[in-house]
Amino acid sequence: MLVLTRKLGESIAIDDNIKIVVVQIKGKQVRLGIKAPKETKIHREEVYQAIHDQNTEAANSAPTDLDALNAELNKK
Amino acid sequence: MKVNTTRFGELQVNTEDVITMTEGILGFENLKKFFVVDPGDSTLILWLQSIEDEKIAFPVIEPKIFKPDYIAKLLPSDMNSVSLESLDQAKIYTILTIPSDITQMSANLKAPVVINNKKQIARQIVLQDSKLSVKFEMYKELKRYIVSFSSDDSKRTNVQEPKNEASVNNAAPDAARKQERNQEL
Repeated sequence: MLVLTRKLGESIAIDDNIKIVVVQIKGKQVRLGIKAPKETKIHREEVYQAIHDQNTEAANSAPTDLDALNAELNKK
Repeated sequence: MKVNTTRFGELQVNTEDVITMTEGILGFENLKKFFVVDPGDSTLILWLQSIEDEKIAFPVIEPKIFKPDYIAKLLPSDMNSVSLESLDQAKIYTILTIPSDITQMSANLKAPVVINNKKQIARQIVLQDSKLSVKFEMYKELKRYIVSFSSDDSKRTNVQEPKNEASVNNAAPDAARKQERNQEL
């Protein structure tokens, strides 16, 4: 991983069209501003982690008894 | 080709029904080849079955069934990632998590699976909309849909499929399903 040190207000450029600025530093929190083309996907890492975890749960908990599932959903 | 599956036994899969997930499913990046299994029951739940790992099958469902106002806003880059020119060629499914207490079942609205029908390539796309949940509980809505649909026998006469006979989801039963839904609406 490339590690860079930046001060408040300084930025880094990724490719020609993505810019990340340090907007605020407050204790242990850093606020970042991101300038990127509209089609660039930007998510907090936790979003990916949540989807990863949900997929794992979906695959692991998926029922094998489909008749029971069918019966339960059709029960009036 | 013949494919072994834990849930459905051995299935005959046509090459043109094989869906390629170039980037896989988050957490299952090593699995690239899938196909859709329609178990032929009335749950409206389909299964995205891995060809490479017989145990792995994701229950999926069309989100419109339980959430009619659901919209997957795809960016141009999302469309490109599955070579889509228009949404008419796409199928959108949400992955379901079905725990042992099935009343707790939930759908991942944040990251639907988008399939290009023509080219048979698919991707799990993370939508930008921060209000969408990865764990949207929808048991009641699904059940209401199924029960109200099956309580009226006139609407199901031509869509009955042989029970317990899993079939690869191809154009024909799918068209029947669509039709039956339209009638319901």
